[in-house]
Amino acid sequence: MTNLQACVQTLGEVATSDSQILRSYDHDLGEMPGVLMAMVNHTPQLVVAARTVDDVRRALELAARHGLPVTPRGQASSGYGGAIPSKGGMVLDLSNMNRLLSVDAVNATVDVEPGVIWEHLSKALAPHGLDNRVCPTSAPSSTVGGWFAMGGVGIGSLRHGSIRDNVLEIDVAGLDGSVHTYSGDEMEVFHQTCGSLGVVTRLRLACRKAEAMALFAAWFPSADRASGFLEGAERALAPYSASVQSAGYASMRGQADGHAPVIGDGFLVSLAIPRSDADETAVARLAEEHCGKPLPRDIAEAEWNGRYYPMRIKKAGPSALVGEFYIPLERFAACWNDIVTALPKDELGLEAFAVRGGRMAVLIYILDDAGTLLYPLRMAKAMIPLRIAARHGGGGYAAGMWFAGMAKRIFGEEKFAHAKARKDALDPHGLLNPGKLKGPGLPFLPFVSLSGLILFGTAVIAPLSARLSYTRPKAS
Amino acid sequence: MSTCGHAREHAEEYSMKELSQAVDTCARCGYCKVVCPTYPFGGGFETFSPRAKVHFLKDYYDGRAKLTPEWVDRLYRCTTCERCQSVCQTAIPLVHLWERARAEIVSKRLGPMPAHKKLRALAEEFGNPYGEPITKQSQWLLPEHSPTDQADILIFGGCTASYRMPPMLQIGVTILTRLGIPYAYAGGHEQCCSSPLLRTGQFETAQTLIERNLDMFADTGARQIATPCGGCSKTLKHDYPVWARKLGKPFDAEVLHFSEIYVRLIRQGKLKPVKRVEKTVTFHDPCHVGRSQGLFDEPREILAAIPGIRLVEMPNSREESRCCGAGGGVKANYPQMAAEIARDRVTEAIDTGADMLVTMCPFCQGSFTQAIKELDARIELSGLEGLLLESVTE
Repeated sequence: MTNLQACVQTLGEVATSDSQILRSYDHDLGEMPGVLMAMVNHTPQLVVAARTVDDVRRALELAARHGLPVTPRGQASSGYGGAIPSKGGMVLDLSNMNRLLSVDAVNATVDVEPGVIWEHLSKALAPHGLDNRVCPTSAPSSTVGGWFAMGGVGIGSLRHGSIRDNVLEIDVAGLDGSVHTYSGDEMEVFHQTCGSLGVVTRLRLACRKAEAMALFAAWFPSADRASGFLEGAERALAPYSASVQSAGYASMRGQADGHAPVIGDGFLVSLAIPRSDADETAVARLAEEHCGKPLPRDIAEAEWNGRYYPMRIKKAGPSALVGEFYIPLERFAACWNDIVTALPKDELGLEAFAVRGGRMAVLIYILDDAGTLLYPLRMAKAMIPLRIAARHGGGGYAAGMWFAGMAKRIFGEEKFAHAKARKDALDPHGLLNPGKLKGPGLPFLPFVSLSGLILFGTAVIAPLSARLSYTRPKAS
Repeated sequence: MSTCGHAREHAEEYSMKELSQAVDTCARCGYCKVVCPTYPFGGGFETFSPRAKVHFLKDYYDGRAKLTPEWVDRLYRCTTCERCQSVCQTAIPLVHLWERARAEIVSKRLGPMPAHKKLRALAEEFGNPYGEPITKQSQWLLPEHSPTDQADILIFGGCTASYRMPPMLQIGVTILTRLGIPYAYAGGHEQCCSSPLLRTGQFETAQTLIERNLDMFADTGARQIATPCGGCSKTLKHDYPVWARKLGKPFDAEVLHFSEIYVRLIRQGKLKPVKRVEKTVTFHDPCHVGRSQGLFDEPREILAAIPGIRLVEMPNSREESRCCGAGGGVKANYPQMAAEIARDRVTEAIDTGADMLVTMCPFCQGSFTQAIKELDARIELSGLEGLLLESVTE
């Protein structure tokens, strides 16, 4: 009996090595070129659809015993490769561990399993008078554990910060099958590291009081004016959430939805302010101070109602290159202007979320077609915005596998060193989600980091890719 | 937000190229996976989700994958409830995709599933998938009913209502009769609308039956075709115009689900619910009436017009309504899965505290009758028209 067969037999019906099922676990949301995927062993040999902590413990113990790499996975709703195996092995599907464990209405906290979906959690908290403080724009499918493992910001981050800021305590299962509880600074190494130090089996989240939002939308003539407004808004308007979109993004949305874009030029800023804090006059006054024009309420409502549908623009694609980065708010406009200059041939769409403390998380969309010959070359364009952002004091949004070469910069040197030391101590054979802290090695040159190669390669071909624009066929 | 309505309404209107292009736009976000009623029956493995099915079909269309017996089975484990389609970020016409995939399976003789083959054989021989002799088709008519050969409204009973679950059909026709509204009925000449065949990819037999029905509609000269069945009304409304064009036959009648007729009559003041019906009810939106036809407000307007009725909504209602488990040939071939889906929905209804679960599709009613029995639940079950008739009857 092979090690694999032994694992399947021991784990029972939660495990399978059926090749057709394995194929569903060899990718995530990202559309990476085949040549890149071929450089990692992205197809697992075994999938475990864990339903309980005990399933997780048993799976980890078996993996350790048989030397199988383990890739934890939520809904794989991120495109950074964090949930894609780099050395085959076992995928630990945690999306079925989706129970709400307990609610503490007095202290406004909730304990959940890692596979709980953000939108479901919001609905489940409502009878307790509570709601999520933050959630990703993929809330209808993405999991609590998955977002913590990747890191990120989203709806509500202007008031409440990142996912990390709102997790109070976690349980983590290790390769020896033991489960430990961490809180405060101890949790930090498990955040953003894609389960490469352990598998999160429970999270305690801070919640907010459930409250209806007053919604506002305003048009601004430039990025500079939009960011000026946001700076004032964070200081004076007590907003819960704020997002920005460029006219290019509005145009993509209009094409996808089959209607005229909501703005023809400039920028649209959408604000959500808890009703008890909202002052409509103050919002309008601040907008006017920054040459903005308040837009009708139905636009604000449509933006809020569509907040979980950012990828609808792909309908006009069929693919989209996405560059994602953080940028200090005061450098947002300059950064955007440089990106526009650097990519003159493309129709660019910008969507950004304001983050507590004067930061923006920015997504730059460039419509493309992954099925075309030059797509792998054009993909390098997605890195251009990030490099420009770095010149303006910004940085990468997440590391995952593809950008693991930037992990030190994204996590910070101290955290990276700490994580690496923990990894060496707890997982000396590198079985827990290998290739996610420093990137996988190349198949025939294992000492060369694939992620490093991606960063180097995209930098080299960026000037060429910037000249390659994709012309979309006219809609029939 | 829902992207419902972005997709075109007919499977046959999409070319393979268009479907293949639509598949390319998949954002892989997994919104479809989360809402799919049959995904949980795949052991929790991603492969049973609509997202994975789209990924597989992309591989298949690009020549990288083969239709294995396992994939055929997975592609038939779908109730065509349209929930996946309604949340799709890029508005992929997913149900059309599943139906076309099933047609491909049938054309390659890799399917359909055994129960679906039986349905087809019965439909070919008897004109209905229950294998009932056509002479029994009119047996649901009550003595007070007085159909004519020709009238503006043609009653299309549908197989399930005519042969298995007649109350909705009987009550609807009783209401028309009592209001003195003339209606025609082609009992003995009505063929299966072909919904079960179209949904399971058996287009060849479907075409034969559709052709006969189109001829029958033309003979009656009906301007409106009314049916109590969610599946029939969806098929007549959305599929028939396409097939009529394809077959070169006329079809310009307005298709109405019974609920649309009731609402019109209430608004016109012709139907006046006056008698109090003291019930707390919850309403189940049938997938093929709600998401397929957008009839969400109509049943609620009817309930609101009945004095004494108090409506409590289930957490999953209107566009987010859960499936009864019966559609897409699932109840025929995967009865246990269908029954469990129905029990989940009935449990959701019970949890509202309502006295009664109300719906407006005989297919759903059949599923819930069985589920209530299996759960030994106390909740009553009624068709919408049952409450309406009670309220208009002095």
